Amino acid sequence: MNATFSRVGAIVIKEFKHLTRDPRTLAAVVILPVIQLLLFAFAISFNVDNVPTIVVDYDQTQTSRDYVRAYDGSTFFKVVSHGASNSEVDAAFDSNTASVAIIIPAGFERTINTGGQAQVGVLIDGSEPNSAKIAKAYSVALNQVYNQSMTAQWADSQGLDISGIGGLQPRLRTWYNPEQNSTIFLIPGLMAVIIAIVTVQQTAVTLVRERTLGTEEQLRVSPMRRVELMIGKLLPWTLIAFIDVALIVFLGMALFQVPLRGDPVVLALGAVLFVFASLGMGLLISAVAPSAETANIVALMVAFLPSFLLSGFAFPLSQIPVVLQGVSYLFPARFMVTISRGVFLKGSGLGELWPELLALAIYATVVVLVAAKLYGRKASR
Amino acid sequence: MMNQPAIEVHGLTKTFGSFTAVDGIDLVVPRGQIFGFLGPNGSGKTTTIRMLTGTLRPKSGSAQVLGTDVVHHPDQVKPRIGYMSQKFSLFEDLTVAENLKFYAGVYAVPAAEFASRRDYVLEMADLVGRENELTRNLSVGWRQRLALGAATIHEPELLFLDEPTSGVDPVARRQFWDLLYELAARGVTLFVTTHYMDEAAHCNELAFIYRGRIIAEGSPSQLRNEQMDQRIFDIAVSNSDLALEYLTGTDGIDEAYLSGASLHAAGSVDSPLSADAICRRLVAAGFTDAVVVEVEPTIEDVFVNLVSRNR
Repeated sequence: MNATFSRVGAIVIKEFKHLTRDPRTLAAVVILPVIQLLLFAFAISFNVDNVPTIVVDYDQTQTSRDYVRAYDGSTFFKVVSHGASNSEVDAAFDSNTASVAIIIPAGFERTINTGGQAQVGVLIDGSEPNSAKIAKAYSVALNQVYNQSMTAQWADSQGLDISGIGGLQPRLRTWYNPEQNSTIFLIPGLMAVIIAIVTVQQTAVTLVRERTLGTEEQLRVSPMRRVELMIGKLLPWTLIAFIDVALIVFLGMALFQVPLRGDPVVLALGAVLFVFASLGMGLLISAVAPSAETANIVALMVAFLPSFLLSGFAFPLSQIPVVLQGVSYLFPARFMVTISRGVFLKGSGLGELWPELLALAIYATVVVLVAAKLYGRKASR
Repeated sequence: MMNQPAIEVHGLTKTFGSFTAVDGIDLVVPRGQIFGFLGPNGSGKTTTIRMLTGTLRPKSGSAQVLGTDVVHHPDQVKPRIGYMSQKFSLFEDLTVAENLKFYAGVYAVPAAEFASRRDYVLEMADLVGRENELTRNLSVGWRQRLALGAATIHEPELLFLDEPTSGVDPVARRQFWDLLYELAARGVTLFVTTHYMDEAAHCNELAFIYRGRIIAEGSPSQLRNEQMDQRIFDIAVSNSDLALEYLTGTDGIDEAYLSGASLHAAGSVDSPLSADAICRRLVAAGFTDAVVVEVEPTIEDVFVNLVSRNR
């Protein structure tokens, strides 16, 4: 037992010394996550505001002008021009001067004043799907609010008591992220991306480097067991990944007001399993990569792209093609993103997130076992 | 226990697919010896070492290392043996002292013993005062001695050295062999592979491996006297490349090859060949500055002879 501690300890101490001697790696694992966090949080924004809007008002009444003012008054739309006919909408869309068009038909005021349901045309330039989708949601919501307040006004002017009717209060809510602030939505997902990059890449590279140095061969002749070597390699990176997690949580909460609504223990558990799964992927890569350069590139491909694109971090998984949805299960990031968002934003705990935790646990076990097997086979050649 | 041989191997065989890397070898290495294991690249040297160090399972045969069956109980053998390869296996971004500390940890050397072991190794490797230098800043010779120190930090009874001197300058090689003698004098058994034939002469016992089989073994003098059925001529000539080409096709000369700065030509013991006759032929062929002397065969000559006979 003492010998085991001695051997694992030797690896752990050595790993930390490598890190302190190599400022670039140190920067990559501690500073890079912070930079990435700030970069992603500030630069990538899925918020929609000041969408350029063209208005074609065929009604030209007080009510229609009020209606347009409601759009202009919101921060989401900015009325940039008024057109006389529908053909001007095409021109505005083609020249990119507007991406939303509001078309108010003649008789708009009359319909409302008689208590009827007024129709308004809203055209959205779909060439930028993400913005389009959100703009559509906003305009629907806005219409609803406006329509209801119109209805309320009409009831009021007719001397009816609307309090008894109920349901006339506008109810517009986006759950979990009422401000529709994409930064809050991004940071919990970003955590998974950053852990994946740090752990997968570093393990892949450090193990290949040991092979090139001949130290792997040296250790095989020693009493060091393979599992001791793996644990020794795993511990420092688990710790570093945790420092990164803590850093991201701290910065996210302090700088970007990300709420931590759920159970931090579940988040920590998810992070541990995810780190293990990622380290296992690193081992897998190092078992097949012939050189440190190859390992680096493969790790980047395996760690970065799937955790970015196939995890639900950037795009909702329900919106990617079905084939890719299947592929996304091959990478652990999707589970971690769900756990992280669940805990941060939805206030979820073990009760809701156990399937993802279980999936990560199975994933980690399988991938570490396969990696150890492959690594061992490569080593005994 | 101590009078058991350090290594005893019977019928050791390893195959990779259809390729037989080691083909039923037998070996006995007594304790306290410097045992030279010689052979061309790909002849099975490293595969044999891997089986003896418990990192590769043989297909068949038995191997006792330090009295223990290394095939079935590698974990009992590993703490008692040391290993050094031509790669030196040092962490270049760690200091001299940190490398030693690491390998002491790997072999679970007790903290109480480590200080004296480290001091001894630093003294031996002539690295006193350079403990805190980064290994990458050391020259190859120093690194080689540090690697030896790291490989012996746990005081192994048996040390495997796989081409430990390749790529090291002759002076450093000489110093390194002095260290090996010192280790042997303290009772450590050394199992050395090398392709430097002058180093082979430093060993107590030699075994030649070729195509997975041991084709000769014995002490250097035994091998020179008993295994040799050729006479060797040393030829000093300025245009050695062309002379080599000329000699290879000459009657009565079985083999011609570069040996150090000169050429060696080997002819059968029964041939009427003489140094004068070879010299006359060379001069007649235009190599006017050729000087030919018959010499005692070196280990290298024995080796070339053995390989050509077994080809």
